Amino acid sequence: MKTNKTKRTFFLGLICILLVAASSWYAVTYNDSRLVAPTDLSEYSFRMQDLPMLLSSTLLLAYFLYLVVLLIRAVIAGKRREAFTHTTRQVDPRFGLFGFFGFFGFLGFWTYSIDRTIFPFGFFIFFGFFGFFYEAKLSNTFMDERYRENRMKAHFTANRLSLAIIFLATLFLGQGRLMHNLEYTLIAYIIIVSLALALEMFLSEFLLYRYDHDEFSDESEE
Amino acid sequence: MSDFECRLKKFRQLKDLTQEQLAQQVGVRRETIMRLEKAQYNPSLKLAIDISRAVDAPIEEIFIFP
Repeated sequence: MKTNKTKRTFFLGLICILLVAASSWYAVTYNDSRLVAPTDLSEYSFRMQDLPMLLSSTLLLAYFLYLVVLLIRAVIAGKRREAFTHTTRQVDPRFGLFGFFGFFGFLGFWTYSIDRTIFPFGFFIFFGFFGFFYEAKLSNTFMDERYRENRMKAHFTANRLSLAIIFLATLFLGQGRLMHNLEYTLIAYIIIVSLALALEMFLSEFLLYRYDHDEFSDESEE
Repeated sequence: MSDFECRLKKFRQLKDLTQEQLAQQVGVRRETIMRLEKAQYNPSLKLAIDISRAVDAPIEEIFIFP
């Protein structure tokens, strides 16, 4: 994405967030926290004072949709470029830093103890983003037949391992008998599946890099 | 362990080609040529044919399978 477009997208997001914050403040101050506090939509009736909150929420939703469209377009453009140039995509190694979001998964233990919220455990999947460190090392690599073979081998190994872990987790946890508590079983299952998917994401890039680089020691021209 | 012998290096040098030049001619990376010369990579039939044409030698003389 070009710098201007990135700036525009960032400022659009910032405006949306500011509008939601302002309308939330308005709703809390002048509208009995309607649509900010949990609302039963089956009993909802429209009031003019709800308009700022409704508009800002719609705008925020539209912004998320815009981001999704941008993402899809970037993926399609990347695939087209890959098919045309036969080189791997350009990846910034800093994307690998998103892997640290994986530690947010531990928040799940805290949120569960507070109000039994379990979705933060899913953040463990972000550990897979550490794979970007290795993908970045192979940016703009010409994809010859050996590269494609290695990629297939790496993905196959990573997929097989991940699938085996998920299969075993399903087999043992699917009985729902972990500590005789169904919620604990669900938590364990979410953690294991998230980590298995993260492992698959990381391992496929890591193994590809290893197959492509480390299998031979001497790269000098003879 | 390689299960074949590769004499590509000899034929490449006879044609006075560097690994990079040969790689460009046959559409692969230099590392792939290097792997081939060390018999650490078993090429596809298409790549073997391209290499044989590039170095002007029959496939069966470049890649020797027992």
